[in-house]
Amino acid sequence: MAGASEPQASAFSAAELEFLAEDEMIEIVPNLRMDPLNFISGDFGPFRPQIATQVPLWLAVALKKRGKCTIRAPEWMSVDKLAQVLEAERDSEKFQHLPFHYVEIARLLFDYAREDIPDIYMVRSLIEDIKDVRFHKIGTGLEIISRERTYALRLKNLSAMEANIVRPFVTRALETFYKLSSSEMIQESDHIPNRQPQATNRGPRRQLKDR
Amino acid sequence: MAKYYDIDDILAEEELVPSVFQHAANEVGLFDSSDDTNKVEAGSRVELPFWLVRELYLRQLISIRVPPCFDRESKTREEIGADAAHVDLRSRCLYFYEVGCKIAPLVGDKTIGPFLLVAFRTRYKEVLIKAHTLTPAVAPKYLTLLTNEEAKLYEAGQSSITAFKKWRMGGPRFQMAPVLGRKRKPT
Repeated sequence: MAGASEPQASAFSAAELEFLAEDEMIEIVPNLRMDPLNFISGDFGPFRPQIATQVPLWLAVALKKRGKCTIRAPEWMSVDKLAQVLEAERDSEKFQHLPFHYVEIARLLFDYAREDIPDIYMVRSLIEDIKDVRFHKIGTGLEIISRERTYALRLKNLSAMEANIVRPFVTRALETFYKLSSSEMIQESDHIPNRQPQATNRGPRRQLKDR
Repeated sequence: MAKYYDIDDILAEEELVPSVFQHAANEVGLFDSSDDTNKVEAGSRVELPFWLVRELYLRQLISIRVPPCFDRESKTREEIGADAAHVDLRSRCLYFYEVGCKIAPLVGDKTIGPFLLVAFRTRYKEVLIKAHTLTPAVAPKYLTLLTNEEAKLYEAGQSSITAFKKWRMGGPRFQMAPVLGRKRKPT
């Protein structure tokens, strides 16, 4: 991992996350005849023309590059679904459910299989919008850390890329907050209004969006 | 001893702390260069690095005066109270939080802890926003206000955002290993 030597760097680089995302399954329609492929991660195929089958994304991309298949866009990647998600994302304080690697999958498909995705321009801008809304939410959500004592953040439905981007910042900030609000620094100072009882070691867990 | 090899911890202890000698001391004229007698009189005020102050204080050879940026009646406290986000802490004390944490138990001033926490809380928000929005061109100006700890936090936020943007822009997915690009040396 890239971050092993420098603790403040992300645990993964964006390219490494993309690599991990390539293990997600996706449906393809091959146009070649081929026997099943036997890999350590499982057997894929058999491949018959016009018969859909499930393969990992990396294999789909490899076949697509050679013009041996068309990729079927995943269900969540339709204009209707995405419009729904965007709507909900704007209305609700919570993060909507999307595939864990949605940023990476979207980019891979946009790069290699643009002609296989219906309404690609619409889909692309919808995903961009969703991403921007979610990033904005993360930003405003992180401001609440400073309001009260926080030891942990619950990041439900946060995607791999989003979590990876905020990780270095959040871990550092929480560490400093912990250091400064530890019991030896704040001792017997009862005039602090939002002091938590010292008996409980683990403070409350904050929802990232919780207002 | 977990921080024994932490360079920032070492550098933080280099910060000067004003202190007063309780006894006259010979052969340490370098601390007080006002005359050439090579000794420090009792009661003279000297600025010493924190690591030395701690040891001398524990041996009761000196007394500590709270550094101006932590002092209860200081300007810094007022400024932090007014608008913490725009106080130039870097020029006052590069390792503001670290030194504050170290010095509070020595001088026994219980208001330092809450003061540090309040300062960091307000400044954290500013760092968070700036890290996500500031373009690299204007960043240096903002960085001159931050202490070491905050600057690192800022860098952490900033670098992950730029790395992500770079990835999204695309570019070559595969990079050539540095070994392969090298030209063969003429023999």
